[in-house]
Amino acid sequence: MTAPAIEPRVLGKPINRVDGRLKVTGAALYAAEFNPAGVLHAYALSSHVANGSITSIDTKAAESAPGVKAVLTHLNAPKLKEPKPAQQSGGGIRNEMRLPLSDDQIHYGGQYVALVVAETLEQARHAASLITVTYGQNPPVLQRQPSDKGKTPKVNNGEPVQLDKGNANKALADASNVIVEHVYQTPQETHSPMEPSATVAEWVAADQLTVHDATQYVKGVQDQLSKTFGLKLENVRVISPFVGGAFGCKGAVWPHVFLAAMAAKVAGAPVKFAISRQDMFSGTGHRTPTTQSVALAATRDGKLQAIRHRIETLTSPVGEYVESCGARSTGVLYASPSISVEETIYAVNVATPTFMRAPGECPGTYALECAMDELAAELKIDPVQLRVINHADSHPIHDKPYSAKHLKEAYQLGAEKFGWAKRTPEPGSMKRDGLLIGWGMATATYPAYKMAADARIQMKADGTVHVQCAAHDIGTGAYTVLTQIAAEAVGVPVEKVTFELGNSDLPFGPVAGGSNTTATVGSAVYDAAKALHLSLAKLATNDAQSPLHGFKPSKVTLTTEGMLTAEEDPSKSDSFTEILKRAGKDSIESNGSFKPSLLKPKLAFQSFGAQFCEVAIDPAHPRVQVTRFVSVMNCGRVMNAKTARSQILGGVVMGIGMALHEETVLDPTTGLPATRNLADYHVPVNADVPDIEVHFVGEPDLEFNPMGARGMGEIGITGTAAAVANAVYHATGKRVRDLPITLDKLLV
Amino acid sequence: MNPFTYSRAADVPQAIADLTAKPHAKFLGGGTNLVDLMKMGVEKPESLIDINRLPLEKVEELPEGKGVRIGALARNSDVAENELIQSRYPVLSEAFLAGASPQLRNMATVGGNLLQRTRCYYFYDPAFPACNKRQPGSGCGAIAGFNRIHAILGQSDQCIATHPSDMCVALAALEAVVRVSGPKGEREIAFADFHRLPGDTPDHETNLQPDELITAVDLPASKFAARSHYLKIRDRASYAFALVSVAVALEMGADGKIATARIALGGVAHKPWRALEAEQALAGKAADDETFRAAADAALANAKGYLHNTFKIELAKRSIVRALTTVTAKA
Repeated sequence: MTAPAIEPRVLGKPINRVDGRLKVTGAALYAAEFNPAGVLHAYALSSHVANGSITSIDTKAAESAPGVKAVLTHLNAPKLKEPKPAQQSGGGIRNEMRLPLSDDQIHYGGQYVALVVAETLEQARHAASLITVTYGQNPPVLQRQPSDKGKTPKVNNGEPVQLDKGNANKALADASNVIVEHVYQTPQETHSPMEPSATVAEWVAADQLTVHDATQYVKGVQDQLSKTFGLKLENVRVISPFVGGAFGCKGAVWPHVFLAAMAAKVAGAPVKFAISRQDMFSGTGHRTPTTQSVALAATRDGKLQAIRHRIETLTSPVGEYVESCGARSTGVLYASPSISVEETIYAVNVATPTFMRAPGECPGTYALECAMDELAAELKIDPVQLRVINHADSHPIHDKPYSAKHLKEAYQLGAEKFGWAKRTPEPGSMKRDGLLIGWGMATATYPAYKMAADARIQMKADGTVHVQCAAHDIGTGAYTVLTQIAAEAVGVPVEKVTFELGNSDLPFGPVAGGSNTTATVGSAVYDAAKALHLSLAKLATNDAQSPLHGFKPSKVTLTTEGMLTAEEDPSKSDSFTEILKRAGKDSIESNGSFKPSLLKPKLAFQSFGAQFCEVAIDPAHPRVQVTRFVSVMNCGRVMNAKTARSQILGGVVMGIGMALHEETVLDPTTGLPATRNLADYHVPVNADVPDIEVHFVGEPDLEFNPMGARGMGEIGITGTAAAVANAVYHATGKRVRDLPITLDKLLV
Repeated sequence: MNPFTYSRAADVPQAIADLTAKPHAKFLGGGTNLVDLMKMGVEKPESLIDINRLPLEKVEELPEGKGVRIGALARNSDVAENELIQSRYPVLSEAFLAGASPQLRNMATVGGNLLQRTRCYYFYDPAFPACNKRQPGSGCGAIAGFNRIHAILGQSDQCIATHPSDMCVALAALEAVVRVSGPKGEREIAFADFHRLPGDTPDHETNLQPDELITAVDLPASKFAARSHYLKIRDRASYAFALVSVAVALEMGADGKIATARIALGGVAHKPWRALEAEQALAGKAADDETFRAAADAALANAKGYLHNTFKIELAKRSIVRALTTVTAKA
């Protein structure tokens, strides 16, 4: 992959969102807004038992309630085919490995036990309340049991989970080292996007299914529906042009998607299943709670000798997924002769977890970066300085150089913008207007991912360009950035480009996960643009009327917007529109693709950043108020300063929520989430969020892709909770090692 | 949501007549609490009587300096911004503005605010089988469950839910009077008698009769109301129910000491909690930290916490001291 031959015209420009007008006028349609003729509405009844089985289920009253068309339970639901375990690349993702209503077993509170289909949502909801279920129940197991030895998977998402470099235990036993060791806990957290998940399923023929689905992965949903219902892949269409936030909870295929298709089959009509906010807390995944023990050994002058990170995570009885909390952050952040990461997974009666924004890196950096702050305090070394001392110039595990790492600049710029030099290190030493002021910081990091994608470009004779890929804009700005990339790669003004996403009929697009869309789809667009230029060059070089006649097509390249030029004679050029006009073509099409190299890369591709936070705390009633935040990121080229800033802002806001507010509490008796609505599950409101300064450092990472961009969707949340927690310590002298830091934990 | 009929009342007598004539009827004001509960299947009225067109939205001065009358349909946001309220009863304006969000305050009525159901995870979500309030005799899910937001004063072994209103805490301190109309005519209910403690009947939250309509809330003229303040402590900066809130009003004597004090607490009990012991501890004392602490201790002397909410006892004490300190500093 080579750099673009010319200085970018459009990449990096802070253009407005191309879909902004559609969104503010309501013209952008989300899954639940599609209403096929005769659509029926579904409402689910969920189990209030977390461990047991259904002994009887009476649906008679529901069936005879007004408007009801069907009631599905495990007794009458169509039996689906259990697909083989989820494959990577191309296959859909399922984290819950039990199909809905497949038997009478209950594995967690909130599990769907019946689905009512009626003419209106209200009728379905009312009828669902008329169903009586009796359960054989055992006490739910909601915590790790002492007798449970757990599982220690080697690999998760294609990456090692367990790391062991050097001899950490030896360094930790060495009395000449300074040791800090503490346990940090993060609670179960729920993504809570604005748009709850929804699926509208329509059988357009006996063997043809169309679904409008709120998903981060149309090709994944297509794959899973085709396998479970035994349909040809191309007979399943999945449409998802707009998604109202996801943060990971719409990446896998969850039970409601299968239920919608099942219900539409049984009812003989299209069915809309827009799940309730309550069901978002058990039906579409959550971030697993973690217990993390971090031990650091360092010399008196602050050089790390050992990092040992032991993690316990919980999964459901019908899933295996957990976030890998150390390998991709603890294994990446600091130079240390020994690094050990051990993660153990325990199955309990909770709903199935899934990836949530920066899965693993987010809780992992919270624990490690708090431990680093504790080490800095112990050593009386400034927290920024301690991180500079331990800066990893190359990847700490495989020792490869980084492609474009500018973490030291991020620390420096962040410290400067924040005014860090004025910090007095003693906890409780900074006060303002009777409030305790605390300043804390942490490092952010997230890998640079690329997946596989195809792209199709159609150029019309008038020079307009339409680009297609079954990728997604889940609110990130992908429509805008991909439009910029296409304009750049093809060589046309951005106004001439339309980009189509979110439809499984389009060329393959990857899951909108791992912050990969820009890098992956952008690379495929560059490939398709190259093919387009070659086709145009062939037309021109074969055309006696063209100034490019007779040159080798491969030696004709894009130099100026809308023009191809002969490399051997730069005075010879021809325009796209002239070439097409003379060839008598209405349009020309090209395809491109990108596949990550199977060869091990020579470089390590990873993004880094520095988070700086100020908190103000009233000692009488110590609710933590974040009053300033500075986030400096190194993610390669900033493709669009507006959407990039929004991504980092959103990550920081979500990190503040993680630090101070968010917790899905399970009721000990039923195993149901007690806080399963947005009045009880708190996320930050505007008043909790200060002005957040976002800055970027570094240059385009052209070793990574032709745009030079690494993903930005997730890194903003990493390190944020630690920066807040470290600021709270600095303000109060209290280390709260279990999130969220609510005021009761600071009262004592 | 269960099926229900909807009708609109043209005047107060018709509203009252409809309430008794229609099966399982409820009045619909702003709907900010009732509609949520209907969607969840907690409230299941068979008839809704919309009272939004009744002429009960005014805030007006009572004759002969007797105070201010707030119509039951006055919107929370209008009362909060009303000059009479802001100048004479600042605690009430502050309490309104600490509650909910601007959008909710624009809809929510004063009468509806009085009738907000108590707050508890186990009451609001019918998926939980145990709730004595929703299903008398089914048990209390909160006592052995998650009880961070629950009561520390006046609770029973049947129910430990808390009243969520901010407005009502201020009204308790102001010794407001609730005016109601029923088939037998009008009557007044002293604020302290309006809401009930759970006892053995947590499903009965107020002493309003099933055939009565709240028409107004009267704020008596008083010497303490002008020096008043509302302090709300919650888990985030805005848009959250109180963990603890304090409404305070003080009348200072010519000797510079506290003549009379009114204190009510929110977030701690099944009803807005008037802290009479604290008021007594303040009367005739110097307005200093020691007095305030003694008052706070008196207010919480009988408090009892549970696994997740014991912190409220200390938080309430500190909040009382802080609110008294703030209100004393007021000119």
